[in-house]
Amino acid sequence: MDTGGDTSEEATGSSTMSAAQRRAEMRRRKLLLNSEDRLNRIVGFAKNGSDNNGTKAQPNRCRAQRVDIIMSRRASRRPAEPRFHLDLDRTEPWSPSSSSQRPSPFLPESSALSSLSHTATPERRGSPLPDCSEPPPAVEDDVGALRQRLKGERAPSDNISGSPRRGLQNYLSRFDDAMKLRGQLASEKPTQDGGVETEEFDPFRVFRLVGSILLAVFVRMFVCKYLSIFAPFLTLELAYMGLSKYFPKVEKKTKTTVLTAALLLSGIPAEVINRSMDTYRRMGDVFSDLCLYFFTFVLCHELLLLCGSETP
Amino acid sequence: MAAGYAWFLVLGSVFLCNLMKTFLSTLSSLLSKMIQKDAEQEMEMRTEIQGMKMEQSSISMMDEFAKYARLERKINKTTDKLKTHVKSRTAQQAKVKWVVNIIFYIAQAALMVSLIWKYYSDPVTVVPSRWIAPVERLVAFPTGVPGGVGITCWLVVCNKVVTLGFNVFNQRSQP
Repeated sequence: MDTGGDTSEEATGSSTMSAAQRRAEMRRRKLLLNSEDRLNRIVGFAKNGSDNNGTKAQPNRCRAQRVDIIMSRRASRRPAEPRFHLDLDRTEPWSPSSSSQRPSPFLPESSALSSLSHTATPERRGSPLPDCSEPPPAVEDDVGALRQRLKGERAPSDNISGSPRRGLQNYLSRFDDAMKLRGQLASEKPTQDGGVETEEFDPFRVFRLVGSILLAVFVRMFVCKYLSIFAPFLTLELAYMGLSKYFPKVEKKTKTTVLTAALLLSGIPAEVINRSMDTYRRMGDVFSDLCLYFFTFVLCHELLLLCGSETP
Repeated sequence: MAAGYAWFLVLGSVFLCNLMKTFLSTLSSLLSKMIQKDAEQEMEMRTEIQGMKMEQSSISMMDEFAKYARLERKINKTTDKLKTHVKSRTAQQAKVKWVVNIIFYIAQAALMVSLIWKYYSDPVTVVPSRWIAPVERLVAFPTGVPGGVGITCWLVVCNKVVTLGFNVFNQRSQP
């Protein structure tokens, strides 16, 4: 009986052992299957399916990773665009336990995030992952399907997330513009501080000024007794407008000043600003001509009076 | 009525102001050099650093590391002292420049105000009013004399012309 008892004990022991082993094995498998899920949950991204659907989730995750690879390869063919690595496709406010349909960016290839370049977008990262056995180009249909699915999912919540996202993008683009303008202002400031700011005299400008002086002398000598001195001046300016096309056009470098930077940042298009500055410059040229003309006229008048007083 | 040479006086004042503005930076640097007393100390420090660097280049780091390191420390210490000195000198220069600019602009404003005060009711020159029609009122402001050229109009014209003249001169003098 002892042997029987022994065998029964052995049988129970072996069954216990095997049950324990079995349980341990199950636990081990459960841990292995759910490790990635757990990681995603920790960092706040969705687990794809339940624990029982771990095998189904695996290809989904693989697919998402392949999407990343494909998009990175496509993006590398395109010219570089400034992109911001922000989770702009989230439809819910971020929280560690919230789930989203987006694949997790915290994947093995996301070590490129440590680079500070703003062009290091998720699409640019990528190296083939060891988990995915299928070759990436074969999944382009899945990419299209995924995109459509995302678009479809995004559509109902567009009203909610669209405006904050657009607002954020606007803010970031304006911040970029502000930084660029700041750099331009800083580079132009030393040249202005260096000395007196001199205007550039192109041939047409010189022609205008000389023409104004000559006309003022001519008008003082012969014309002023008969009509107003401003009539010939206006005629001269009209003539200049017609003659301007016969002179070589000098491209004037648009200087970035605090005013233009403020106007740009306030949303006024650059073209409007440029046109306004151009108009302002032309008005300034006409004003310079008028001042020189009037000054020469008065100077001639005073010199003639002086000569007139000296002559007996 | 108008004094004979009022127009010339205003023109001369504007010319003088613009001339002073051109030489402002030179004036401020001259003043700061006069005020600054320890410019030689800076020169000595620079010479010392240069000498030490030459000495350091002749020493082999492997063979005489201790000497090399000692020299390196001395160079660093003197460089830091020089940087502090240069910083304070630059700050003093900026302060002097700022003061000179402020004084100049106050003086210029006072001169302009005094000219306007003097020729408020007298035109600087008079021409027949039909010559400057239809803007004779604007040109005569604030005198109200028909055909007269008011101080404000003349100041603006002179300022513009003198600035143009200086720009032409500067452009020609630049290589």
